[in-house]
Parts: sequence; C-alpha cells; structure tokens
Amino acid sequence: MVKFLKPNKAVIVLQGRYAGRKAVIVRSFDDGTRDRAYGHCLVAGIKKYPSKVIRKDSAKKTAKKSRVKCFVKLVNYRHLMPTRYTLDVDLKDIVTADCLQSKDKRVTASKETKKRFEERFKTGKNRWFFTKLRF
Amino acid sequence: MVAAKKTKKTHESINNRLALVMKSGKYTLGYKTVLKSLRSSKGKLIIIANNCPPLRKSEIEYYAMLAKVGVHHYNGNNVDLGTACGKYYRVCCLSIIDPGDSDIIKSVPGDH
Repeated sequence: MVKFLKPNKAVIVLQGRYAGRKAVIVRSFDDGTRDRAYGHCLVAGIKKYPSKVIRKDSAKKTAKKSRVKCFVKLVNYRHLMPTRYTLDVDLKDIVTADCLQSKDKRVTASKETKKRFEERFKTGKNRWFFTKLRF
Repeated sequence: MVAAKKTKKTHESINNRLALVMKSGKYTLGYKTVLKSLRSSKGKLIIIANNCPPLRKSEIEYYAMLAKVGVHHYNGNNVDLGTACGKYYRVCCLSIIDPGDSDIIKSVPGDH
C-alpha cells in the first residue's frame, strides 16, 4: 500500500531497445497524460555501462573506462521492473517532460545526465546501479 | 501434528473469508491486474495459488515487498482458488482491493 514508483527509484527497463538496462525514475505520471493514457514515467538510464577500473590503470585509462553513455526515455510502468535500490541524483532540472521534443534538447539532457552519472560513479557510491545486469 | 490440524480449519476459514470478499468487497483476479493494483498501491492483500510458476511468484512477492503489502500463499492450486472465488475458471493470483465486510486482511497475513 506504499507507492514505490517514485522519483529516484532505480528500475530495470524490460522492453525495447534498452531492455536490461538500469535506469532511475526522474518523474512519474501515474494517471498518464492526454497523449499517453497509461501510467508512465520519465527515466534516465545507462546506455553503455562504465568498464571495470583496476588499480594498474593510468589516469588516462581510468578516465576512458569511467565513461557512461545515457539515455532519457518515457517508459510505460508495465515495461519496468522496480528494484529496492534508489539513486538520488538531482536530475529534475535537466530532464523535463519537454526535453524530449527535439533532438538537440534530448542530446543536451543526455549529456548533462552523463556528467552527473559519471561524477556519481567516480565517488564509488551506488555501485549496483553502475554494474551491468547479467542475463 | 498441530500444523496439520490447523491447516484444515484455517483453510476453510480462508475460503469463507474469500467468499465474503467476493460478495461484498472489491478484488481483481489475474497476474496483470495484480501487478497493476500493486503499482497503484490499491491492493491490500495478495493471494497466490501454490502452482503459480516460481518466477511469477517471486515477482509478485517482490512487488508486494516494495509496496509493503501482505502475500498469502493459498493452500491449493489455481483450480481450487478459482473455485474458492466462486468462478468457473482458474485463478492463479488475486488482489483484494477493498475487503468489504470481511476481516481477511486483519486475520490472514499473520501466517505468511
């Protein structure tokens, strides 16, 4: 009886091109909108996970390996698997409902989330979120 | 010994309570609507039949854990659960949204 599809929840996308990728809910539309008459949410996820960084790596190599590629998408609740994890990265101002209107807005939003995800990855927190789901 | 005696009596009482919910309360039957009721935080108790596929059972239990909703593993298969609901079809899982006059929500989750 507790609502769990809330912002900052880590979810796994189940369908589509990004199936199997981890994402975080930025904004949820429980009752849908006029265009999408079903419950859906705006998620920001990882398109390409960062590789494993080892101690032997040089600074240049660590920088290259820690790169994250992101996506922003509106996903139906049915195509998500919620998890017990959360990721509190502040994405509310960059990822908005209208940033999916045009290609360049989408690209700038992805670039900003990439920056925020990369700095979170480098701190070593939320390690589960940045590891690839094996299936 | 005690468990065997207990299950017969409580099993009947669960059936009685379910019948009362069917008559006076709100419920949904079936996997898709159960997940829907959990997502919208409307479900108050989930009942799963014992021959539910294990992946589906774990998925419903995980959603219920996130939603903090009780899950009851019904002592019978989907045919029995359908009969207990008074339906002529099989029911693998059901979600009780509003118990009506029944006290199923207060009395049942204790044994899960």
